[in-house]
Amino acid sequence: MPEIVYSSTVTAVGELVPDFAEQGVLVWFGENAPAELHEFSIIHVPEVATRAPQKGDMIKINENVFNVLAVGSVASENLLNLGHLDLKANGLTEPEMPGDVNVEAVSLPTVQVGDRLVVISQP
Amino acid sequence: MGAYKSVVISAGKGGWGGPLTITPTDDRPYIYSVTGGGIHPVAARIAEITGGIPFDGFKSSVPFDKIAVAVIDCGGTARVGVYPMKKVLTVDIHATSPAGPLAMFITKELFVSGVKAVDIKES
Repeated sequence: MPEIVYSSTVTAVGELVPDFAEQGVLVWFGENAPAELHEFSIIHVPEVATRAPQKGDMIKINENVFNVLAVGSVASENLLNLGHLDLKANGLTEPEMPGDVNVEAVSLPTVQVGDRLVVISQP
Repeated sequence: MGAYKSVVISAGKGGWGGPLTITPTDDRPYIYSVTGGGIHPVAARIAEITGGIPFDGFKSSVPFDKIAVAVIDCGGTARVGVYPMKKVLTVDIHATSPAGPLAMFITKELFVSGVKAVDIKES
């Protein structure tokens, strides 16, 4: 059965987030991230944090669906400790950076306050 | 006050940049740990040798111009560039190289990565 392993709600969107999205990157942080990180980050509050995304999981941002192709070695501790996620829509099947979570090379949605991030495990 | 010592921090295995010489001053006394799980051991070690003040960026904040060095555990996208962009000396625990949307700000003069306690030497 598919299971929601992580879900959160967006509480703030930095003014540089659209610029980063254009480069295929969405940077996420929890609410306690220092102010200098808010400028280019999506700030979110988790409701479910069972685990971080793994290869083969599905990530949803509202109704936009992405398939997780690769996950860097520190992505899990980043997300669970700091609410930090570097979501990269570049189609890579090996992570380029240890913090990366890679999905298909598709355009990323415009994220707004109240939007939801959901990670769903696939059977 | 004023009894600060200097350390030289070199890139660790697989790391990039540096070496950086860190000398806290009364104007810039803070060793700023922007890491998961509290003050990172590398930040604690720098503070111990130099006499700088260790500080957890996920708990509270100080102005950039008070920071002697920022210690990050960045997986390569966001935090690697933010502090160099603000001209703050930056030590990444992870062995990252300049990349991401802020890569242009990451220089050998401002940034060193892959750093472990053994890469910190009293000077």
